[in-house]
Amino acid sequence: MRTYELVFIVDPRVSDEDVVTLIQEYKQMISAGGSEISTEENWGRRKLAYPIEKLTEGKYVFLGITSQNGKTSLPEVEHRMRQNDKILRYLTVRTDEDLKRAARRKPSGRSPAAGGAGTGVMDEPVDDDLDTGDEV
Amino acid sequence: MTMSRPRKVFFRRRKVCKFCADKIDYIDYKDVKLLQQFIPERSKILPRRISGTCATHQRPLQQAIKRARHLALIPFTTD
Repeated sequence: MRTYELVFIVDPRVSDEDVVTLIQEYKQMISAGGSEISTEENWGRRKLAYPIEKLTEGKYVFLGITSQNGKTSLPEVEHRMRQNDKILRYLTVRTDEDLKRAARRKPSGRSPAAGGAGTGVMDEPVDDDLDTGDEV
Repeated sequence: MTMSRPRKVFFRRRKVCKFCADKIDYIDYKDVKLLQQFIPERSKILPRRISGTCATHQRPLQQAIKRARHLALIPFTTD
């Protein structure tokens, strides 16, 4: 099973109703490609950290996507987004591998850390060397 | 260890990887508040040597910051 996250920024001049239809359109494309929408979040209007196409605000939409057989229509969705002028930015990230790695680290990483200076043993000598280097 | 270096008088706070200490395993690019701690004034990524982040966590942190930048959640530069 693969999980993806898709975030895109819509032009703030587009009305909320149009944003909803836009989301609907992309969701339909995604489900047609054999994946499911697990979460949908509308972050609404947000200030951009830097101007994109001379705009200082954008409407953020977040979609969580799961694909059972590894097949998705995300390349087509991305292609459509690239062509759509109303979409300022988009980002698709595959998250299952990173989340799995994080989950694996949790049970194994907790036991040495619970022993006390489990994390400190590795870090301490390196930090100490750098510290003296800074001072001299 | 302190015996071998008597010259060092003042105590320096030992740097610990924030992600190891707080047991944050997955660094999310959407967590702006967390990422902001690692981008100082000029919005550059804070080096490991200063933040004390371990290599295992600095790598996903770097990735998360770059993703957040792409989505204009955090700036590339401040000017």
